[in-house]
Amino acid sequence: MKIYGSIVSRASRNAWAAEETGTDYEVVPLDFRKAEHKAPAFLAINPAGKMPALVDGDVVMSESLAINLYIAQTYGKGSLWPAGAKDQARCLQWSMWAGAELEPVAYGRLREVLFKKESERDQSVLDDLAEKAKPLVELIAQALKSGQFLCGGAFTVADLNASCVVEYLVRSGFELSPWPAVDAWYKACTARPGYQKVQDMRAAAIKAAA
Amino acid sequence: MITLYGKAASRASRNLWVLEELGLEYKHVPYDHNKGETKNPAYMAINPAAKIPALTDGDVAMTESLGMNLYLAQTYGAGKLWPADALGQAKCIQWTLWSATELEPPAVGRLMQLFMTPEDKRDMNQVQVFAERTKRTLDTLNIALSKSPFLAGNAFTVADINVAAVAEYLVRTKFDLSPWPAVQKWLTACLERPANQKVMQMKVAA
Repeated sequence: MKIYGSIVSRASRNAWAAEETGTDYEVVPLDFRKAEHKAPAFLAINPAGKMPALVDGDVVMSESLAINLYIAQTYGKGSLWPAGAKDQARCLQWSMWAGAELEPVAYGRLREVLFKKESERDQSVLDDLAEKAKPLVELIAQALKSGQFLCGGAFTVADLNASCVVEYLVRSGFELSPWPAVDAWYKACTARPGYQKVQDMRAAAIKAAA
Repeated sequence: MITLYGKAASRASRNLWVLEELGLEYKHVPYDHNKGETKNPAYMAINPAAKIPALTDGDVAMTESLGMNLYLAQTYGAGKLWPADALGQAKCIQWTLWSATELEPPAVGRLMQLFMTPEDKRDMNQVQVFAERTKRTLDTLNIALSKSPFLAGNAFTVADINVAAVAEYLVRTKFDLSPWPAVQKWLTACLERPANQKVMQMKVAA
């Protein structure tokens, strides 16, 4: 399984999923600054020129959260992909929710923080997005009333796909502490060895590029 | 028994399309969230956000219209809306996420500005920004549909429904699709399917 994209990009989500399922994988780094994601070799894999993309035998696909559903359904039985229709439906639901509802808000905040100097940041944009984030985080809190994770007792792709987007909120300075259950859940997700290993890969890549 | 919550003239229409394509038996509870019909404890146990649509099926309870369609296709659509091959299945999941994250924000954004915002409050600059984003998504779609007649290969699948149901917003807002002929041909074929025509009738009737 080959994951195309810089480990600093959304490709990190897919590396995390691969780690959780114990699947052999290789990250093929693409240098954003050299526009390698717009080069013909990559456009043959994803004509939209967006990373990440996955190549696994005959399978060629894009969309990071979808790639994680594919990895979970294909290699994650007994780990990321739960048994039983009830929990599988939740994995689909939370993955769509993470992409459609949470990511626009969370990434909006992160973009403001990452790509602008402190003096150029628009605090009203950050505040507005924080207000929009609150009912979304509240929805996670509601779901966690029936267990430590989104499908109950076990960590699944629902948690992976939601927490990797919550990470943007946290990195943008959004406080989870008013929702103790969400705070504990996020800490449990990001304490996992698979996540930690990918963080180390990211840190090494950032250091090498500096 | 499958129960679908949400009036036909909402994103529930996407789920009605899949249910009709698969010929499944289902109960339709046409809640209108604007009339406060979803703010009852029984429904909020299914969807605490009190939004429509939602679906129950045995012990399954879920929200997110496009996710619900994936569930229905994976559970009841083998050989029909859910392809047998791994690549086709991966494409169904990919295009579903793409539809929600790439196509829907500019398509709905434009619809909201043009249809739901009074003319004196309309931001034509925003309309233009949404149109430009839409064009880039149509480029991507046109490349895919130049290689195969449907998004997951040679057969119509849930990938086509999940993208066409969102692209329909562009038809409604009279977005000129002629620069993307493969998209135009595919979208017409999708929307003309008897199952979608039946859902369109349900929307008009309601």
